[in-house]
Amino acid sequence: MKDKLKTVVDYLKSKGVDYGDIRYVRIETESIRVTDLTVDTLTKDIDQGFGIRVIVDGAWGFASSSICTAAEMRKIANRAINIGKASALTKKEDVRLAEVEPQIGSYATPFVTDPFAVRLKPKINLLLKINKILTKNSKIKVAESSLAFFKTHQVFCSTEGAEIEQDILQSGAGYTATAVEGSDVQKRSYPNSHGGDFGTGGFEFVEQMNLLDHAERVREEAVALLAAPPLPAGRRDIIIGPSQLALQVHESCGHPTELDRVLGTEISLAGGSFMQLEKLNKLQYGSKIVNIVADATSPNGLGTFGYDDEGVPAARDFIIRDGLFVGYLTSRETAPVIGRKSNGTMRADGWNRIPLIRMTNINLEPGDVSYDDLLADTEGGLLFETNKSWSIDDQRLNFMFGVEAAWEIRGGGKGTMYKNPLYTGITPEFWNSCDAICNKEHWHVWGVANCGKGEPMQTARVAHGTSPSRFRNIEVGVMQ
Amino acid sequence: MIGRERLLETLNKVVASSKADHTEAVFIGSESGLTRFANNYIHQNVAETNSKTFFRVALGGKIGVAATNAFSVTDLRRALKNAMQIARNQQENPYYLGPPTAADYPDLPTFDEQTAKFSPRQRAGKLKTIFKRAATKQMNLAGSFSTGSGELAVVNTAGVNAYQPFTSAAAAAIAMTDTSSGFGQGMSRKVGEVDIRSIGAKAIKRAHQCRNPKDIDPGEYEVVLEPVAVATLLEWLNYIGFGSKSFQEETSFLSGRIGEKITGEQLTIYDDATDPTAAPFPFDFEGTPKRKVELITDGVAKGVTYDTMSAARENKKSTGNALTPNDAGEGGLAFNLFVAGGDQTLDELIGGVENGLLVTRFHYINGFIDTPNGVLTGMTRDGLVRIKNGKLRGGVKNLRFTDSMLRVFSDIRGLTAERELVSTWWDALGCITAPAMRVGSFRFTGKTDY
Repeated sequence: MKDKLKTVVDYLKSKGVDYGDIRYVRIETESIRVTDLTVDTLTKDIDQGFGIRVIVDGAWGFASSSICTAAEMRKIANRAINIGKASALTKKEDVRLAEVEPQIGSYATPFVTDPFAVRLKPKINLLLKINKILTKNSKIKVAESSLAFFKTHQVFCSTEGAEIEQDILQSGAGYTATAVEGSDVQKRSYPNSHGGDFGTGGFEFVEQMNLLDHAERVREEAVALLAAPPLPAGRRDIIIGPSQLALQVHESCGHPTELDRVLGTEISLAGGSFMQLEKLNKLQYGSKIVNIVADATSPNGLGTFGYDDEGVPAARDFIIRDGLFVGYLTSRETAPVIGRKSNGTMRADGWNRIPLIRMTNINLEPGDVSYDDLLADTEGGLLFETNKSWSIDDQRLNFMFGVEAAWEIRGGGKGTMYKNPLYTGITPEFWNSCDAICNKEHWHVWGVANCGKGEPMQTARVAHGTSPSRFRNIEVGVMQ
Repeated sequence: MIGRERLLETLNKVVASSKADHTEAVFIGSESGLTRFANNYIHQNVAETNSKTFFRVALGGKIGVAATNAFSVTDLRRALKNAMQIARNQQENPYYLGPPTAADYPDLPTFDEQTAKFSPRQRAGKLKTIFKRAATKQMNLAGSFSTGSGELAVVNTAGVNAYQPFTSAAAAAIAMTDTSSGFGQGMSRKVGEVDIRSIGAKAIKRAHQCRNPKDIDPGEYEVVLEPVAVATLLEWLNYIGFGSKSFQEETSFLSGRIGEKITGEQLTIYDDATDPTAAPFPFDFEGTPKRKVELITDGVAKGVTYDTMSAARENKKSTGNALTPNDAGEGGLAFNLFVAGGDQTLDELIGGVENGLLVTRFHYINGFIDTPNGVLTGMTRDGLVRIKNGKLRGGVKNLRFTDSMLRVFSDIRGLTAERELVSTWWDALGCITAPAMRVGSFRFTGKTDY
C-alpha cells in the first residue's frame, strides 16, 4: 500500500501542489452488546479507504474514496486539487504550515492479547453472566453490557517526504443497570456510563476491569436510587469522582483549548472558546494545584498514538500549569498563530475525514491527597459519581452536569444517597475552587469513545487522566 | 453512483449464495461534498465517495451482522461469511421473525440532478456573495454548505428488491459581530431550494438586532421559539422518547401513557417520510414501506416508531422506521418528523407577548436528566431577543434552560402556519419540519456572560 501512496505523492508533486498528503486507513471493528439475556448487537465491520489533502493556490482541498485502486487514487487526487482551487476563490491569505521534520517511522500499540483472536463465545458468555447478575432484581428493567474493539492500520505519506505506518488497537467494555418504578428511571454503570471504559491495548484491558466483581453493587445501587431523595438545591463542597471529572476536563478544558475553535473555524457546529489568544499565559484558569497536560503518550490512553494525522510525533505539552493557562492543542496550520510548533493533535475519524484539532489524552495531573483523607476532610460535602447528562455553552463557560448518584459525605464515608444530582458552574470559577486532587494511587486514564466535532461530523476516541478532586461552594440541585 | 441495475444484480448474486435461513443485504452509498467557512472565507472543503454494505443472516433465530465498505463480489462474500460465522456463535433471538416481504413503495421525489452535480466551485460561488454582504456590515460569517447524492438498496431472501437514489443539500450560517450573533439555515433534496442569500441575510439581521446584549436574570419567561429552536428540542425528544427502545424499556415519556393527554392539545407531532414537501424516502433499512406514524396528536400520546424486531415484541407491525442492521438493537427511529403548524405568523406570535423572549435556537441540549418527564437542559445561542409589548427590543445574554418539555408544551399559545425544514444530524435521510411556537412558560436556570 505504501508504494501506491508514494505514487500518488509523486503525482501531486507533478501537479505542483503547495503541499499534499495521503492517508490510507483500514479499521476493523467488533461490537457485542447484550440487553437483558439477548445478544442484540453482534457485528463485525471492515472499513477502508484513503483521503488526499492538498494545499493548492494557498487553500485547502480534501477528497476521499473507499475504492483503493491506482486509477481511483489519481481521480481523487485531481478532485482534491479542484476543490483546493475552489477554496482559493474566497481565501484571504495563503495557508502556511509550521515546519516539522518529515517523519519516517512506525508505531504499534503494545498489547498482550489480540481481542479479535479471542473467540466470540467467551466474550458473549462474559456479558451474559454480567446481565444475569444485574437482572436478579425485578426492579431492574434493563441490563445492558457491551464490548467493543477497534483495530486500525494506517499509512501516511506526504510531499515533504513523511512515510509513517501505525497500528492502533483499542478495547473497551462496560455495563449499565436501569431500574424503573412508575415514572422514575435510575441507572448505575460500571466502570463508567457511555459504554464503559476504553483504552489502547488488547483484551487484557477488559480483563483488568474485573467486570463481574462489581455487578451486584451496581444492581443494588440502581434499585436503591429509586427510593433515594432528590438532591436538594444549594451551594455545597463537592468531591467529583474520576470518571465524571474526566468529562468535566473534556468539556471545560479540552474543547476550549482547541486552537481551531479559538480561531473561529468550529463555530458553525460546536462553537468558539472563551480562552481567546489574549488570555494565553495570563488567565488563571484554575487554582495553583490544577495542572493539565495534553499527553498523546499516556500508557493505555485511548488518545495514545505514535504520530498525529499530519505526521507530527506524539507529544506531551502543558495546557494548564499551576492553574495558569499556558497552551493550546495545535496543528501545523494554527501553531504559528501563537508562535509555536504543532503539538501533534490533528486527528481524523477515518480515511474519509480531514484531520481536525482533537484531544489526545488531556490529563489532570494527580495531586497529593489520599482518597480516604479527602473524604474525612469533607464532612457534610457531597460525592458525585458517574456521568448521566452533560451540557455546556458554545464558548465553554456555563456548564451543567448530571451524574447517576450522589452521596452526603459523613464520617469519612458515604451517607445519604441522592438521585438525579446536578451541578452547574462557570468554567474558570469552578476550576479555581479546586482545593484538593487525589494522588497517583487513585489516578486513571478514562477513555471517552464518542467525542463529536466537525462537519461532516467526526467522532474521536480521546481520554482523560483524573483522580477524585474537591471543589468548594458549587451550585447543586438546580431543579429542586 | 453505481445505479439500480448493477447494484441490485450484485447484491442478489451474493444473497443468493447464502446458506442462511434468511439473508438481507443493505447498501448505502454516497458522493458528498461539504464546504465549511469561517471569518468570511472557506477553510475546509471536502469530498467523499463511500458506500457500506451490511449483511444480516439468520440461522433459525440466531442473527449475525457484518459489514464492509468495499463493493467487489469477493469483499461482499467475505462480509457474508463473517455474518454467518457470527450467527453460528449467537444466542437465539426470540423476536426475529424473518425479514419483511416484497411490497409496493410510494413514488417520491428523492433525487435532483442539479444537486447531484453541484460542484465545490458552485458552492464557493454562492458563498462568496454572502461573505461580501457580511463584510460590508462588519460581520463575519461561519457555517457550512453541503450537497450530495446517494443510493440505498435493500435485498432479501423474502423477495424485497428495493432501490432508491437520493440527493440532499443543506446550508447554515452564523453571522457574528463583536458582541452578538445570528443564525440562518435551510435544507432540501434540491439545492435550488436552499437559498444561500436569504440564509445569510437572516443571520446578519439577527446578529444586528442583538448587538450589545443586556444582562437578564434566569427565571420563567413566556417565549417564542423559532422553528430551529423547536426542531432542536424535537431532535432530543425523538432520541429519548419516540423510538421503540426507550418506549419498551419504560424510559420514554410515552411509556405506559398511550391514549393519555400528555401536553396541551395544540401539539401534534408525527413522522412521515411520504410527505413530498420535506425530505421524503419510500422505505426503511429493512425494505418496509414508509408511512405516516402518529406520535402525539392534539396532545394525546399515540405511539412510537418500530422496526420489525421491536414491533414483534408487542405483536405489532413495523412502522417502517428500521435503522441499518448493525444498529437494529436500537429499535425504530423517526427521521422525518413534523410538528403540525397553526394559523398565525411569526409577527403575530411575537405581537401577543407582553414580556418575554424570542429564542433563535438552542445549543448542546441534553435530555438524560429525567427522561420520563422529558426534561431537557441546554443553552440559547445566536440570538436571544427581548420581547416587550409585542415588539422585539434588542438582544439579551444567553441563558441556560432546564425544564420538562411536557410542562412547556402544556401551554402552547400559538403556532405559525408557515413551517421550516430544519436540517438535523440525519439530514441525508430526512429532516424536521417545524413551525415557530409561542409557549406560556419556559424555565431558564442559569446564565452566561455573552
